[in-house]
Amino acid sequence: MAKVLEGPGMGLMKKWGIHVPHYVVVTSADELSKLGQVNDWMKQTKLVAKAHEALGSRFKLGLVKVGLDLNGAVAATKDMVGRQVGSITISQVIVSEMVPHKEEYYCAVKSTREGAEILVANCGGIEVESNWERVKRLCLDVGQTPSPEQLEKLARDAGFTGSVAKKMADFAGKMFSCFDNEDAQYLEVNPVVTRESDGELIALDAVTLLDGDAKFRHPDWNFQFAAEFGRAYSKNEVEVMAVDSKIKGSVKFIEIPGGDTAMLPAGGGASVYYSDAVVARGGKLANYAEYSGDPPDWAVEVLTEKVCSLPGIKNIIVGGAIANFTDVKKTFGGIINGFRKAKGDGKLKGVKIWVRRGGPREREGLDAMRALKDEGFDIHVFDRNTPLTDIVDKALQK
Amino acid sequence: MSILANKDTRVVIQGGAAGVNAARRMAEFCYLIKRPLNVEAFVYPPDAGKTNEIPYGSGLIAIPIYRTIAEATKHHPTINTSLVYIGADRAMKGGMEALDDPHIKVVSMITEGVPEKDAKLLGAHARKLGKVFNGPSSIGIISAGACRLGVIGGAFDNLVLSKLYREGSFGVITKSGGLSNEIIWICSQFADGITTAIGIGGDAYPGTDYVSYLEMFENDPQTKAVVIVGEMGGDLEERAAEWYGAKKRRVKLIGVVSGFCQESLPKGMKFGHAGAKEGMKGEGSARSKSDALKKSGAIVPQTFGALGPVIKDTYQELLKSGQVKEIIEPVTLPKLPKTIEEAMKADEVMVAPLIRTTISDDRGDEPCYDGYPASELINKGYEIPHVIGLLWDKRLISKQEAEIIKRIMMLSADHGPCVSGAYATILAACAGIGLSQAVAAGLIMIGPRFGGAVTDAGRWFKYAVDNKMNVDEFLAYMKKNVGPVPGIGHRVKSLRNPDKRVKELVGYVKSLHIKTPCLDFALAVEQVTAAKKDNLILNVDGTMAAVLVDLGFPVDSLNGFFILSRTIGLIGHWVDQKRQDSRLIRLFDYLVNYAAPKRREVPPLK
Repeated sequence: MAKVLEGPGMGLMKKWGIHVPHYVVVTSADELSKLGQVNDWMKQTKLVAKAHEALGSRFKLGLVKVGLDLNGAVAATKDMVGRQVGSITISQVIVSEMVPHKEEYYCAVKSTREGAEILVANCGGIEVESNWERVKRLCLDVGQTPSPEQLEKLARDAGFTGSVAKKMADFAGKMFSCFDNEDAQYLEVNPVVTRESDGELIALDAVTLLDGDAKFRHPDWNFQFAAEFGRAYSKNEVEVMAVDSKIKGSVKFIEIPGGDTAMLPAGGGASVYYSDAVVARGGKLANYAEYSGDPPDWAVEVLTEKVCSLPGIKNIIVGGAIANFTDVKKTFGGIINGFRKAKGDGKLKGVKIWVRRGGPREREGLDAMRALKDEGFDIHVFDRNTPLTDIVDKALQK
Repeated sequence: MSILANKDTRVVIQGGAAGVNAARRMAEFCYLIKRPLNVEAFVYPPDAGKTNEIPYGSGLIAIPIYRTIAEATKHHPTINTSLVYIGADRAMKGGMEALDDPHIKVVSMITEGVPEKDAKLLGAHARKLGKVFNGPSSIGIISAGACRLGVIGGAFDNLVLSKLYREGSFGVITKSGGLSNEIIWICSQFADGITTAIGIGGDAYPGTDYVSYLEMFENDPQTKAVVIVGEMGGDLEERAAEWYGAKKRRVKLIGVVSGFCQESLPKGMKFGHAGAKEGMKGEGSARSKSDALKKSGAIVPQTFGALGPVIKDTYQELLKSGQVKEIIEPVTLPKLPKTIEEAMKADEVMVAPLIRTTISDDRGDEPCYDGYPASELINKGYEIPHVIGLLWDKRLISKQEAEIIKRIMMLSADHGPCVSGAYATILAACAGIGLSQAVAAGLIMIGPRFGGAVTDAGRWFKYAVDNKMNVDEFLAYMKKNVGPVPGIGHRVKSLRNPDKRVKELVGYVKSLHIKTPCLDFALAVEQVTAAKKDNLILNVDGTMAAVLVDLGFPVDSLNGFFILSRTIGLIGHWVDQKRQDSRLIRLFDYLVNYAAPKRREVPPLK
């Protein structure tokens, strides 16, 4: 799942005929001033300035300013750009037209197992969250397109009447077109408002999650996907992602600050069971990591170096189930090289390493790990006869 | 019995290298259970019409490759299952093609990173047709003792250790490929093993979910219990729980779910498979799934580690109630033939080598010449002539000898475009022939009349010196037994117009005050022959030959010095023509003496 920021998200909606306010995404106050000279709407309407980053609760952080004139928006931009919030440095601000409105509505499309679901409510903003029963749904099978009648019934069921019901039906139809054609997994507009000047429904705020796997058929997705954590990716995370994008198989790495148990397990399934075992034992995870699909040894080596560089770690869990086709000896070769490098750099002092694995060439791989003892590593190696997560129990025994 | 994959399963594999690898793994399993290979065909348009060779035991089976599924099932009407190993961008098209073929009932997709919408469309299409679409991202399906689809089950040793050669009583459904193998192993160690294990793939919306497979297991009398390995995200586990709790089921259900760690992670931080995403309102969390399974009456161990003992308890209960009987393992199982490398490593075979070498070895991290690592030679100041010494005569020559060889090579590197070798290379270059072939054309010219007299000259000078002949005896012997003396005589050079290269080389070698019996003898021969005829001088071939024999090089290597140095020139001529973009050339008629018969009538064919 790939999160898309508001600017490109609104761009996609606009492409499918959904009315969105005028907006610009800028990286400096200067840029905004220049745009203000050529865009009349910036001078004629009140403006909203928001930090354009993957941040939650921007309002509380003072990163949303409303009711501004152009000068006010320039000042707000100047104030926001470069601000540090957690690990994120704000580099972009989205400035949009403020749309005067009275009523607020809600519309979303989400992926379901059968296909998709269109959600509509005749209340919006925070009101919809506290009145979730007012949200009405239209379930669609994959490949099915909603008919105008179905959409209008949905709008009427949600309490819309008269011409607004027709408009809401039309709006929901366009949302579905956008969802379906853009390989979205979730689209949400909250609030949808009626523009007082012409009575059109406008999408004031967009949440857009796209299917990153479908990027190959969307050459116009020229935007970056945003981190879903509410924080920016760290340098080490970005480096592992760069390796991951280049190789057969995969390597994954996410840092969790403050933990002391480092994870270096194999497999998207087993890795989570290992994390569970650490948490169940009262341990604190220092990271999430995973390698799978028989990745090249150099990629596993890069991953290992990142894991070894985590600050304050006491144990490293090199776990894994019995592999189907990942070559244990080869991938362990990468891990061993990473360990040696880390040790050469003065890391891994006082760190215990715990290994459990099975699969093609398991004996050779495990023997190579065991041999690290002779090089002064504090390493404990187990084979398939030790249950999967027992090494975590052993590592975290008090 | 088993579900989905059985002894009648016949497979077409859609895809290239990954599909071939899967076929190899499947052949290993077929060999283990002593059944013929279940892969009938491949569909891979780039290689259509060819075959893939799949090792089976110690032999190879040729499996045909077709352009389309329809062609494959037309030629192999028993095919009923397709495995899709096609890239994510084309996987849906391939999957649809397989589903639409009337012969095919089960399609399992291994491809990872398939767009969610495509996976849903494939699943919906299969349901409409009453077929099974498994995956995407599925590691495969395996029915113990009957059928393996894909690489599930791992290496051959693991198949044996996990007792996959015969049926047990446990069904397995997992999202994770690695864990499927783990559970199969656990079932074989803590119970009597599996009936069928299915990897449904870790995507958010797998084509077939737990419930469909639970129904199939429920209807398979051999399966007494089913283990499902779940993950946070989606609602597949909740649906499985709902199915299990809905009415009294014959099979026992054992379930574990991962993702409890999410509860203590920073908000929004998620990981694992693509489908492992908690819903916005907490639905799909590990806890809600685990609770739902418990509530439905399923056995839910506290941790993954507790799964083994739980499976053991279940098996003991089944034994006690008489639903299953203890299995007596077969005494012998086929062993996968080892490759020669593996067998040699295990000291099990001795192989008579095909060739023998005494000069070089590059099996280490760098080539060694007669035992000396190339980099060490470089770092200690050795040069090309020393490498020649090592590879041609297996000895480390002195600085002085190296200098002589260097000079010999410099003197014979090229001799202009008109000589046979260079001319042949130029002719080839003008005809657009590539470097190695054009240089080879030039090298082919080297023989008794052009540049190839070095070895023979060396041989006979050495013969004379070894047999302590004087010049007259030698010339008489040559006249009687051999013919003209190789290394003596030149087309254009003569006593009055001496070959400067010879003068240069002889002068240098003489200045070193080393013993040169062959050279001395050759010069003595020249005194006699040149006196008879002006151009019967010691030529450059003869000089080189005499000097090299004096340095101790084996007679048979001597032509090599000319070949090697002249190659420098031939390459130069080819590059030169290429650089000028020379056109095709042909002889002019006036350069040919047409001595063939005049044009005449062809007589009738008799």
